[in-house]
Formats: sequence, C-alpha cells, structure tokens
Amino acid sequence: MISAKGAGVSSMLSTSQEKRYHRNIHLPGVGAEGQLKLLRASALIVGMGGLGSPAAYYLAAAGIGRLGIADGDQVDLSNLQRQILHFTQDIGRSKVESAREKLTALNPDCSVEMHQCAVTQDNADAIVSQYDLVIDATDNFDSRFVLNKACLAAGKLFVHAAVLSMAGRVMTVLPHKGPCLRCVFREPPAPTAKSTSELGVLGSVPGLVACVQASEAVKYLLGQGELLVGRILVVDCLAMSFETVAVLRDPECPDCGSRFN
Amino acid sequence: MQIELRVYTGLEKYTGSRHGELIPVDICGTMTIADIMSLYNIPPAEVTSALVNGRHKELNYCLHDGDRVSLFPPVGGG
Repeated sequence: MISAKGAGVSSMLSTSQEKRYHRNIHLPGVGAEGQLKLLRASALIVGMGGLGSPAAYYLAAAGIGRLGIADGDQVDLSNLQRQILHFTQDIGRSKVESAREKLTALNPDCSVEMHQCAVTQDNADAIVSQYDLVIDATDNFDSRFVLNKACLAAGKLFVHAAVLSMAGRVMTVLPHKGPCLRCVFREPPAPTAKSTSELGVLGSVPGLVACVQASEAVKYLLGQGELLVGRILVVDCLAMSFETVAVLRDPECPDCGSRFN
Repeated sequence: MQIELRVYTGLEKYTGSRHGELIPVDICGTMTIADIMSLYNIPPAEVTSALVNGRHKELNYCLHDGDRVSLFPPVGGG
C-alpha cells in the first residue's frame, strides 16, 4: 500500500490501485497523493460524440473518481466512425448509457453519472455546479455559449474544443483569470457554415483534440504545468501543424467583460 | 505601414500561405480587417473570429501599423 497525506474518500491506494495507476504515480510530481487527488476529483463531459468519447475514456482511465456525462442523443450508425465509446450493437441506445457501460467496465473506480439531456440555459447551472471542471464536447455554439457562461458564474474550469474536417482547436477558460470563449468567438457561425456532416471529419482528429482536453483537465486537477489559458491551440492534421495563438480578455466581452477588476 | 496577417484552418486556400504562416501586408491609408480580407477574396461568412493583437475585433476595425491580425473560420463540430 502507498500512503498519502490527507483524508477523503480514501487516504490510501489499494494494491490494485497501485498497479492500475503505476504509470500515473510515477509521473513527476504526481505520486500517490496526486492519484488520490484524481480519485477525489470530478469532471463533466458535455457531449458523448467524437470529442466526448475519447475525453471520457482517458479521464476514466486516469482515475478521475466521478464523471458526469451529458447527451440527449441515441447512437447512430454514422457515429461509429469517430465516437469510439459506442459499438455497432449500441445503435439506437442512449449515448450516455452506452458510454457509461464502457467507462465503468474500463475502470470501476470511476463513478459515472448520466445526464440524458441536452445542456441548456435552464439546466446548465445546476449540472455544472456539481463538478470540478467541464469538458466542451458539444457540436454547436449555442451549447458552448451556455456552458461558457455557466462555468464563468460557477468559477469552473472550461476546456473548449471544436473540430471540422482535418482540423481542430482547444482553448482552456480559467474564469476571470484569462479570456473566455466569447472573448474570442462573439457569435455562433452563420447558418450557412459547413458542418462535419457536410465537410466530414477524420475520427482521429477529434481523438487527438480530445486527448489535449483530457490532458488539460488532469493538469488542472493536479495543479501542474501551463494550461491553454490565454492561448488557442490550432491543429491542422493535413499540414500536421500545431500553432498556439495568444488571446487576451476583452473588456467588451458580453459574458466576462463586466467582471474585470 | 505594414500589418502581420495569419490565417488558420482552411483559409490558407485564399492566401496561398501555410497554416499560421506570417503574411506581411502593406497597407495604405485607412484599412479595415474587411479590406484585408477583400485583398485575398476571403468571404466574410468564412471568418467567424478576427483577432487583432490577441483581442477580438469587428471586421470594420481600422488597422494600425504593426497590428497582428489572426483570422479563424467557423469550426464547430464535436
């Protein structure tokens, strides 16, 4: 048994947990204490699709103790090319039920809470407030703006991502410490903007981007490293180019501008 | 006067640049972000966010010498 300071759900890792999380524990600055932090932590993943599937998978595997997963949709055949938590036999099932089954089979340490609904301005505050951070795995800007605002109000970390075709981006919002989503993206794209159903998306692209989101979440929970706060990571898999673009808070931002000190 | 333009995620097809590559653009008189986009025939509907020196600006923003302009197209999938 590896002991760690502090009390909580558990103050020690079991022998099984020592083995399961061996490669986490041996990361610089993590140790048993860090793993116990993860086991006591929680994350909400909104969307169980191309981004949400790999993000949830890696967070469950890392030993995040409580995961909320939100999605009101059912699994469709066209999802399976990229939404890796769902299998052929899951077609027609609720995405959150399908995802929960895989995540709990992967790691019984992880308690998975299902929110079988879209996250809207009517329920966002109540759902977001239950978790330490929020992963944006949605496929539309209306939901993203609702989550951005709810995370600002609750002071929760918000890890935004979006993908299209062979490209994607990630930006982490640390409320009132850096720019929020609407500091950068003021309005939803025009209705004429092309979607993944029109332009396609390679399954590994949301996979790659979601791995960045999961890494940001774990870093935040462990208090390690530098987050993508004040930076947008822009990924182009055709050029295999990864660029970060510096972003500043906007005093005119309708969501966080008035909160400037 | 000169500004620095960078475009991302498919807008390179209009500028002929690489992803995020610095494009120096000479400007004369008063030019807006929309004017710069017109130089490269970038349709306004294909830009969902324009940043100048890291801060969001509307497309009618008048540029100044040395401004760093970044243009992002709509990317919304998940």
